[in-house]
Amino acid sequence: MNAVITGIGWVTSTGPGWAKGGQDFCMIPGAIPPIARKQLFSEPNQRFGRQSEYSKLGLSAIAFALRDAGLENWVEKRPIGVVAASVHGSLVTDLDYFQTVLPAGGGLPSPNLFAYTLANCFMGEAAIQFGLTGSTMVINESVSNGLTPLRMALEIIDWNEHDTMLAGICDVLVPEPFRDICSTIPGALFMVLTGKDSCIHSGYGNLSLSGNGALLYNGEKTASIIELAKRCLEDRKAGRSEG
Amino acid sequence: MKEVYITAAATVTGLGNDLETLWQKMLAGESAIRPVQRFATDRYNTANASWIADIEQAHGSSRIYPLLDLLLDRFGPVPADSLLITATTKGCIDSMEQISKGCPGDPCDVSAGAILGWLEKRYSLSPGINMNAACASSTIAVARAAALISSGRSEAVLVVCMDLVSEFVFSGFSALQALSSDVCRPFDLNRSGLSLGEGGGALLLMSGDRARKENRPCLGSIIGWGAANDATHVTAPARDGCGLIQSCRQALAIAGISPSEIVAISAHGTGTVYNDQMELTAFRALFGERILPMHSVKGAIGHTLGAAGGIEVAVGLKSLQTGLLPPTVGLLDPAPGAEGRFMSRAQQINGSCLLTTNSGFGGVNAALILQKGEA
Repeated sequence: MNAVITGIGWVTSTGPGWAKGGQDFCMIPGAIPPIARKQLFSEPNQRFGRQSEYSKLGLSAIAFALRDAGLENWVEKRPIGVVAASVHGSLVTDLDYFQTVLPAGGGLPSPNLFAYTLANCFMGEAAIQFGLTGSTMVINESVSNGLTPLRMALEIIDWNEHDTMLAGICDVLVPEPFRDICSTIPGALFMVLTGKDSCIHSGYGNLSLSGNGALLYNGEKTASIIELAKRCLEDRKAGRSEG
Repeated sequence: MKEVYITAAATVTGLGNDLETLWQKMLAGESAIRPVQRFATDRYNTANASWIADIEQAHGSSRIYPLLDLLLDRFGPVPADSLLITATTKGCIDSMEQISKGCPGDPCDVSAGAILGWLEKRYSLSPGINMNAACASSTIAVARAAALISSGRSEAVLVVCMDLVSEFVFSGFSALQALSSDVCRPFDLNRSGLSLGEGGGALLLMSGDRARKENRPCLGSIIGWGAANDATHVTAPARDGCGLIQSCRQALAIAGISPSEIVAISAHGTGTVYNDQMELTAFRALFGERILPMHSVKGAIGHTLGAAGGIEVAVGLKSLQTGLLPPTVGLLDPAPGAEGRFMSRAQQINGSCLLTTNSGFGGVNAALILQKGEA
């Protein structure tokens, strides 16, 4: 059960980036700087402005990962799936939306905000923007190191359900009193995984599952998706991968 | 591929706290959709939803926990090596409401991890995951459980799905003009929107070998599954049904059967104009002009969101066991294309394979194929 990592994209407190874009990757606690439409789309995009910050965050990291993998541009829809882990999901949007319900006793709730009160909302946006017709799902875990979506993506490729998958993490900074419940670093990080049989180059390296379920990068165990991204970028910088 | 058995199934819905009660009331054409009493509805375009009377919010704790107690109290033993997959769109959303109003509420409840932790402790299970894929959450959870067992990666998976009727969700669907002002009428010519519902479902999936070894009953098998995004709109379905068609074709391919072997369909059938029309379009593309018995449970128990797919699997098992497809409650005058397929009375089905589908916000679609069991 293995696949090639062909793209890496992120939006963190230190800014957005993608592996071949040359930006440094650093995922540390802090507020996420606003993402401008022009960083993603050269043409005006009516959908982008109306999205919640959570949706923009997930969509942007997916866009950068696809850009890195050379899959940003498309003509026909493609059976690419997306799996993401999120600890808090759309909680911030939920709180914002409910504030539109409370003042007038339910008379003025915002339909636009409500549309973004599902944890998988950014996947719908990504599917529309990039023609992704694979299965799309957000998972929540008690403790997330971002490895479960990678593991699930590998399984989906191994089961021949899809040949290419996006897998990653997405969380915005949540307010008190919710911040201390489960520590997570705000930001989004996505990787493009392509089945080994159909990948014509070696990408950033090989991702596989050991018999006991451990995730291996080029045969070595990895502890988190953040660590994995750092290793991929280091290997590329050192000329150890095609990237 | 290993056989995937469902060895236990339970539901709690507005029509009762167990699957048999739900089944009997559905066959009788009853509906649990009635005025909501837990929050004021005078500012919304309806007062109606299907809700469970026996769950109360105590000391700021979520109604999800009494709902899960009702669901699981008679569920039976769960093997300790089972993987846990929950499915919910909004989990303990009532706790978030309480906190937002300045009332007592536990911030820990707001994380989906709280429900996972509660279930892990109850059954002494390893950490699980919650699946969030809008109204197809539990369908995709069951699909993943089936794939894990079929591939040999797991021997047993417990799927628990749930969602509440809350002011949060009620107000949102009202703002989107998606709620029927009366009761929902799936696949009716004059359908005008959905009715919300709350409920839960629990399913224990096992490999055939393991189930036989433990003398567990086979209530039915899952032989096919599929999921796809229609990549068209965030809150509306693709009119050509492309995502649903892709999901069903994937499920048929995994099952290794032709469309002619499907003898009944449990449709998503929310009662909104566009969803139901999309499904009729997709089913016509898949099954042609064949008159295939179909139904929707939403007129009986409302749209239970993330719990819908799991509850509908449990109902589907009963359909295959008894050879009866329950009425589509609320249906008065079938829409064009629904005539002869959707009925306001129970329909007989002959055969062993039932297709059940769900679709949701974010362009999500999912399909499962159930096969008749031995129990």
